Amino acid sequence: MECVVQGIIETPHVEALEILLQGLCGVHKERLRIHELCLKSAPNLGVVASEVRLLCDLEQPEPTWTVRHVGGAMRGAGAEQISVLVRTMVESKVSKNVLRLFYALGYKLDYEQLRVGFAFHFQRGAQITVTVSSINKMLKMHATDEAMPVTPGIQLVEVTAPASSENYTEVAASVSSFCEYLAPLLHLSKPGVSTGVVPTAAAAAASLMSEGGGTTL
Amino acid sequence: MTIKWVLHWQPNAGTTVNSQILNEVSQCVESINGVKEGRWKATLTFYKPIVRDQAPTTEFPREFLGISLPEQPNKYYFVIRGQKIVLEAEQTIQTIMEKLQSYKTRVALNFEGFQYQLGDFQLRVGKVVPMHSENLRGIVMEMEYLPISSLDKSRQIMEEFFDIWQEALSKRSLPGHFMHTEPNFAEFGLPDNYTSQHTAVQYTTIMAQVIATAQAVQAVRN
Repeated sequence: MECVVQGIIETPHVEALEILLQGLCGVHKERLRIHELCLKSAPNLGVVASEVRLLCDLEQPEPTWTVRHVGGAMRGAGAEQISVLVRTMVESKVSKNVLRLFYALGYKLDYEQLRVGFAFHFQRGAQITVTVSSINKMLKMHATDEAMPVTPGIQLVEVTAPASSENYTEVAASVSSFCEYLAPLLHLSKPGVSTGVVPTAAAAAASLMSEGGGTTL
Repeated sequence: MTIKWVLHWQPNAGTTVNSQILNEVSQCVESINGVKEGRWKATLTFYKPIVRDQAPTTEFPREFLGISLPEQPNKYYFVIRGQKIVLEAEQTIQTIMEKLQSYKTRVALNFEGFQYQLGDFQLRVGKVVPMHSENLRGIVMEMEYLPISSLDKSRQIMEEFFDIWQEALSKRSLPGHFMHTEPNFAEFGLPDNYTSQHTAVQYTTIMAQVIATAQAVQAVRN
């Protein structure tokens, strides 16, 4: 399982967000360049239609591959009350021929995208990962070198943390409280619940840039 | 990783495997000074597609194998024999396959027995039994040579050792013999340097042989 919230930020304020995150986390950012392939099962395969994501980490000297399955979000009164989305998520690192395997099993490429940006991994009540990235589409199949931004000028911010059925309330609380620190720059909410950019972003960014960041909380 | 041959017991025409043969094989390893070291176990699971509307099955493989090996306890292997694909994954890939609900696991077989040390060789003798059953389906043997990891460079010494082993075993006049069928690893995109993916491919190959043998015995009986 994982807890997740998302938000968007205008590209000119990304540098300020980076300074803020750096100060909050006390760790260095990692560059992010991930080729994501979303596959769907052939129409007559499986009990129900299924979807699986293959992630190729292009930042590594030798690209590494991961299979990710994102399941349905947790529902019910308990889930409604918390401000982060809790969903099942399973990952497995795999050898590089994974695309060939899934094609052979009857999966087809639905869409592919390239995420470029940076990430922070740190411990704050939970093992939190913040990614800030622009989503790019490929003009030609698998041509990651010729990718174009899907939403120019806007970047996606995602905060995730692994959780289990025993501890998700605590993890969700840790994620929520961390998100409050980012509130002047962006608003984070459950995926699919778009809240847009925040009006205070420009002022907050300007203030952060002039302070030069660096303050660790 | 060091080179390994996976062998399977080929019973003579009209005979079947039984636990007496397995005992004799184990005794034979000890008679050539093999030192018993402990137990080992590999598991092999058949996955079959779940197809709606009875679509022609040519679109998907009729089955593929999921393999867990004691030499890599955190890894899991998928092999599609027809399409010559071997994938190395983490154990969590099994959960992903469950969640996708596109393939279901059918039969699972355990390969289990004892490990022996014999100089630079490591031998593992084991029975092939369906999970939750003691119904013997076959006998396997792993022959590992610890100093070398190149398939080519090890071929001669492996062949020589295999001959010595066959000769030692022949004195017991058992109704069958061990067979070595080396898969074409290059077809699976595997290099000369031995890896656990080679082991997974070897298990898939001997599984096909065990099934073929069982079917042949069945045909004779009918």
